[in-house]
Amino acid sequence: MRATATLFLVAVAIIVQTTVVNRLPLEWGAGPDLVIAMVVAVALTTTPAAAAGCGFAAGLAVDVLPPAEHALGRYALVLCLAAYTLALLHRNTGAVGALGGRPSVWAVAGTTAVTAAGVGVGYAAIGLLMGDPRVSLISAVVNILVGAVLTGLISPLATFPLLRMREALSGGEHTTIQGLVSPGRW
Amino acid sequence: MFRDSPRSRLFLAVLVTLAVALLVLDSRPGSDPVTSAARVGGEFVFVPVAAGVGWAASPVTALREGMRSESAERVAELEKANADLKAQLQAARIDEERAEQLDELLGLAGLGGYEIVTAQAVTRVTARGYADTVTIDVGTDAGVRPDMTVVNGSGLVGRVTEAGRRTATVTLATDVDSAVGARLEGSRKIGVVNGGSVPGGPEAALTLRLFDLETPVEAGTRVVTLGSHEGAPFVPGVPIGTVDQVQVAPGELSRVARVTPAVDFASLDVVGVVVQGPERDPRDSVLPPRPEEEEGDRS
Repeated sequence: MRATATLFLVAVAIIVQTTVVNRLPLEWGAGPDLVIAMVVAVALTTTPAAAAGCGFAAGLAVDVLPPAEHALGRYALVLCLAAYTLALLHRNTGAVGALGGRPSVWAVAGTTAVTAAGVGVGYAAIGLLMGDPRVSLISAVVNILVGAVLTGLISPLATFPLLRMREALSGGEHTTIQGLVSPGRW
Repeated sequence: MFRDSPRSRLFLAVLVTLAVALLVLDSRPGSDPVTSAARVGGEFVFVPVAAGVGWAASPVTALREGMRSESAERVAELEKANADLKAQLQAARIDEERAEQLDELLGLAGLGGYEIVTAQAVTRVTARGYADTVTIDVGTDAGVRPDMTVVNGSGLVGRVTEAGRRTATVTLATDVDSAVGARLEGSRKIGVVNGGSVPGGPEAALTLRLFDLETPVEAGTRVVTLGSHEGAPFVPGVPIGTVDQVQVAPGELSRVARVTPAVDFASLDVVGVVVQGPERDPRDSVLPPRPEEEEGDRS
């Protein structure tokens, strides 16, 4: 039930991202990234391996959908690593949700913005490694900052509901502190 | 802090390897069966949803277009026209605008002798905002192939870089990766128009570099495409823009000028893909007549 609902919502987020958000006439280039927002919610409520799988699948879907302007696998790699790192940090330090187990909207928005910035840096770094002429220092900094802020701003509408839904469907296991989450659950 | 089970680590390693393999596979020149098949699948999902969103968003787009054209000067004029406009459906209005753009496009194609396939720009922003590309709603089914020129009623838009069955990705002339062979209006002087600024050049949407340092260039000179071998990726004679500032850079091996694009890239809608270039170079015949007569009247 939890896995199905999550899968459905993440798929909807990917479709909305590519057909609606990418269509918005945003003057400053980068837009909010719903896909990161959803992957953060999944990563905060599951094991690192499952989070990595979710990030990989979501990233690959974005790679495959038009516009096909970057190499396949670039976004999948970044999102997979980001989701894994976030889940690992959350699992081992309880950075978000250690106090009483329920993360606040602010904490979630901050986590999402930081993750979005991390994903932006990773994506730009792969661009640099592959010799993408479009990645310059200024464009990368602007894109990363704008993307992180916008993604953080939409996270109360995307990350937070999915997080609450996953917590509710998990039957209260996540109300305890870190380490007691049943492993291997989606 | 980074404690994790070996199984979980192994899973991550497999995923990372897979992603890197895909990355390497896809960034090699030429098309690859695995990645092409994946993109065809993605397009299969994208096309119907994008069409649905386009249909649903058309009243909103019409409203926005209406708001954009508002300016202090036109208020009186708009108030006079208000009664008529009320009767007009917003959707009908955007159709009219598109028809007008289509007219211009066909005019340009007729002047240059280009055979075109018309299309509509579907998306504008890319996944991470680096590349200047748009997705258009025609593909190989309509005869569109990579390395075809894309134009609209005002001039050069870009070239097709990726073509699926029913969508294609167009790299705009303003993309940093884009370089277009160009010729100055009226002369045979040739150069290259790059998207964005070149190192040492002025901040610009398009930058022209002339190969001949001695060439006198003046602001206001218009630039057309030079044309490539067999019309791919660029057909000759398409207006690119107008030179608006010439940079005299010491030590520069070529002359650098800032070019104002002929096309308004912020409001791309109806575009045409040139599927067949002209038999002869249309030279400057595609350029619209200079607005000199008007200026003469004013002075």
